[in-house]
This record gives sequence, structure tokens and C-alpha cells, in this order.
Amino acid sequence: MIKPELKRVILQELKLDDWQIEDETLAAEIPGWDSLSHASIILAVEKAFGVRFSNVEVLKLNNIGDLQRLIDSKVK
Amino acid sequence: MFVPAVLAAYQLMPSRWRWAVLLGASIAFYAALRMPLLVVAWMFVVLTSYWLGRRISDESNGIRRRTYLWAGVAAQVVILCSVKYLRAILRLIVPGFEPAGGMDWFSTLGISYYTLQAVSYLADVYLGTAEPERHFGRFALYLGFFPKLLQGPIERAGDLLPQLRLLGSFNYANVRSGALLFCWGLFKKVAVANRLAPFVTAVYYDPHGYSGLSLIVATYMYALQILADFSGYTDMALGVARMFNIRLTENFKHPYFATSIADFWRRWHISFSRWILDYIFKPLQIEWRTAGKIGVVSALIVTFLFSGLWHGVAFTFMAWGLLHGVYLASSVLLKPWREAVYRKIGLANHPYRRAFQGIVTFHLVAFAWIFFRARSIADGWYIATHLFVGAATRISYATAVRGGVMGAILNGGSVRDFAMLGAAMSVWFLGSTFIKAARLQEQPIWFRWSMYYALILALVFLNAHDDVGFVYFQF
Repeated sequence: MIKPELKRVILQELKLDDWQIEDETLAAEIPGWDSLSHASIILAVEKAFGVRFSNVEVLKLNNIGDLQRLIDSKVK
Repeated sequence: MFVPAVLAAYQLMPSRWRWAVLLGASIAFYAALRMPLLVVAWMFVVLTSYWLGRRISDESNGIRRRTYLWAGVAAQVVILCSVKYLRAILRLIVPGFEPAGGMDWFSTLGISYYTLQAVSYLADVYLGTAEPERHFGRFALYLGFFPKLLQGPIERAGDLLPQLRLLGSFNYANVRSGALLFCWGLFKKVAVANRLAPFVTAVYYDPHGYSGLSLIVATYMYALQILADFSGYTDMALGVARMFNIRLTENFKHPYFATSIADFWRRWHISFSRWILDYIFKPLQIEWRTAGKIGVVSALIVTFLFSGLWHGVAFTFMAWGLLHGVYLASSVLLKPWREAVYRKIGLANHPYRRAFQGIVTFHLVAFAWIFFRARSIADGWYIATHLFVGAATRISYATAVRGGVMGAILNGGSVRDFAMLGAAMSVWFLGSTFIKAARLQEQPIWFRWSMYYALILALVFLNAHDDVGFVYFQF
């Protein structure tokens, strides 16, 4: 389940008013989230939640649900 | 005769042994090229990546897993560089060294492709995005499957290995569509690419004798030649694989219809661009993320310099890679102002915006091809700086009448050559746009067979009968 905080950070970084984001949503399905903007979105998420991901953790992410679970595992 | 014989053996063998038929055929195919060093190098790649892939998967200690991964990557780099630079190394030791016998000891055919595939396998197993293959024979087939051995596509473990575990029996629809795709690829190579090649070579062999329009036309022609050549080979590989019920990765999706350079790389040599994106650009971009746009730009430049170097250690390829890196870096840096510029020139919501973007993208790509094709960086620089100088220095009324406009411009062909090229290009264009869109298999039998005969006739009558090697065989 994607929490409102994560959704807000993603929408803000991509300058989107709204977009349906679920566990299975792929990054490429969200307008503006492409390989060139990927790192800046990850950095914005890290700053917003006060966490730091390892490179391998980021490379293993398959969808937004994975990102939410990674954040949850860091902020616990 | 090779493919029908393998197809017959494949069909006669029980399904659990079909991998052995394909592996045996692949080894025979590679060995028949009479390049013994390459078979040895391929075996080393298979052995190291198979063993280290299993070690990565079976190991729970993070440091040891990483060590195995880097050992695997280093092994592939060592094998690749050893084969690519063996001639240079031996000539350093023994000046003018040339081996005896009829074998080609220094060919590098295929090695750049299956070493990259081995690295991607190891990285995917390390990241947990692919299961390691426990069956040695099937793994060797994954790296050496003959249709894709020499020039790709560079297949991902998750795409190809599951298909090799389920090798189905003879399927008429697959054999028919595979044979058609093979013939279509062959047509693009022998009728289009090989007909364009002499015009391009005439200018690029000694560009200093030409300027202006000649250089522009030759560069456009090269853009078409390399697409017909490489996508032709890919279609042939995909067609043969399909006869054995295997779907290889599409490598081209109308790349010259791209509306940005990023879009071009999603359509051109797709299996390679996915490789550099996933295994070079993404890790660098994540590593340098705190540097913001500078981090992204640096990752792009490094990634495309690697892309240039992969094609060959030459300033020309590095210049080509650097140009693409700079194009993409510019698109990142200029993104905030791009919409404002489109609004200013009245194209923001204009229906022709995509066409404008497409034309600009094609010309940026074609400009970069100059350095890719040029024989030296000096030649490339001369061409790039003389595109708009003069008209066509070798054009005259007499040559225009005798050789036709194109022959006169390029001083390398006749009216007949130009007409045959025009016919081949027309068949290519019609085939790519209309025949594919019409989904041939859904058409009535008379239409399908008319198209098959038309393609065979085009192959027979438009064949250039020139023995021009595939451009991408050299990499």
C-alpha cells in the first residue's frame, strides 16, 4: 500500500497535480519518470524520509510498492 | 542447407534433448568460421560465467557475492581484451608477426556480444532479477545460440533462458513467419545496404575530393545503409530463431522516426542500449545522485564514451559516443527552457511539432554517423566542416548526362545503379510500412503468396551481388 507521503513526494518532484500510484505501478508508467529523472526522484524520496539507500537496493526496485517497502524497512 | 538440416535434427530429437541439437549446431557454426581462438574464448566465457553465476547465487555472504560478481566481470573484460588486442600485443613482441595456415587467428567476430551477455547474466543473478541456470548445456546454448552469436541481439537471462527450457516441436506458423522474416532481412542487406555501400564508400574512402552536397548525400545514404545492414541482420537472426520457436529481442523499432535522442536510443540497437542503460548508466547515476544534474550529465558522458569504445578503440568511435552523450546531456540541462522555446517559435501545441522534432533528431543522429563511418578523426572533421561548402565539386554537365544526377554527385554510379537503388528503397519502404501493418498472416492465401513471390523476385532482381560484410561484424 502506497502511503500518501510517498505519493506526495513523487508528484511534487515530477510537478504533477495527481496520478494514480499503486503497489504494482511501474516508474515508467508515471508521466515524467524516465531513466534521466530517476536519480533525482530517488534523491527527493531519501531527503523527504531522512533515509539513505544503497546503490544495490535502488537497482533492485521493480515497482513503487518495492520503493514503499524499502522506505518502511529504513524508517522502522 | 545448414538451417533445414538443424531443423530436421531438432524435430527428430525428443524434446528434452533439443537443447543438445541447438548447442551442437551452434558450436559447429562457430567452428566452421575457421577462427579457432574464438571457440576457445567462447568456452572460457561459458565456463567462467556459469561457475561464478552459481557461486553468486549459492553464497549468502554479501562481500563474497560481490567478489564473485567482480571476478566474473573482470574475467569477461580480460577475455574480450585478450582476443581484441592479441594481434597488437603479438606484433609488439614480434614486429610484423603473421601466423601461418589458413585459419583466421585474430578475428573478433561475436565476442563483444556474448561477453556483454555474460556480464548481464552475472549482474542479474547478483541483483536477484534472474535465476542462475543450473543446466550447463542449456547455459552454453544461452551464450552461443547460433542465430544471435555473431551480432546479437544481446539477450537477457530472463528473456531467453525460460524459452530454452521449453523447446517446442515443429510449428508451421513459426517456420513460415521465421523464413519470411529471414528473407526480409536478407533483402534489406543484399538489395538495400549493399546497393548503398558503393556510393557511401566512394565518398568516405577519400572525402577530401568532395564537398557540399556530395558529403550530405553520402551521409544520408550511410544513415540508411547502416540501418538496412544492421536491422537486416537482426531480422535474419530473429527469423532463424523463430523457426525453432524462440523469440529473440527486437533490436530496432523505426529508429529514424524518433522524436528525441533519448527516444532514438529506445529504438536503435535496443538490446545494447538496454545493456548500457542498466549496467553502466543507472549504477553511475545512482552513485552520483547527490550531484544533481551534474551527476546525470557525467553518467551520460561516461556511458556513451563506453558505447563508443565498445565499437572500437578509435577516436572516431569515441567522437561518435561523445556526441550522443553531449546530445543527451544537453537535453537534460536545457529541459527547463525547452517548452519556453517551443512556445516562442509557435510549435508548443502545433500538430507539426513531432515532425519538427523528428527531423531535428534524425539530423543530429546522421551528423554523429559521420564520425562513426569516417576512416579517421581528420576525415570526420573535414566532412563535418565541409557539408555546406560549395555545391558538389565533382559535378559537371557531362557527368550529369552520362551518369545521372546521383552518379554525378557521388561520381560513383550509373543511372542503372541509381534506378535499382531507388527500386530497392521503395520495396523496403513499402514492406516496412504497409506489409507489416497489414499483418500478413491475417490476409487471404492469394495475397500472402503474392507477397512471398514478390519478395523472392525482389531478392533475385534487386540483389547487389556485392560481397559486402555486415557493418556490425567488426565490433
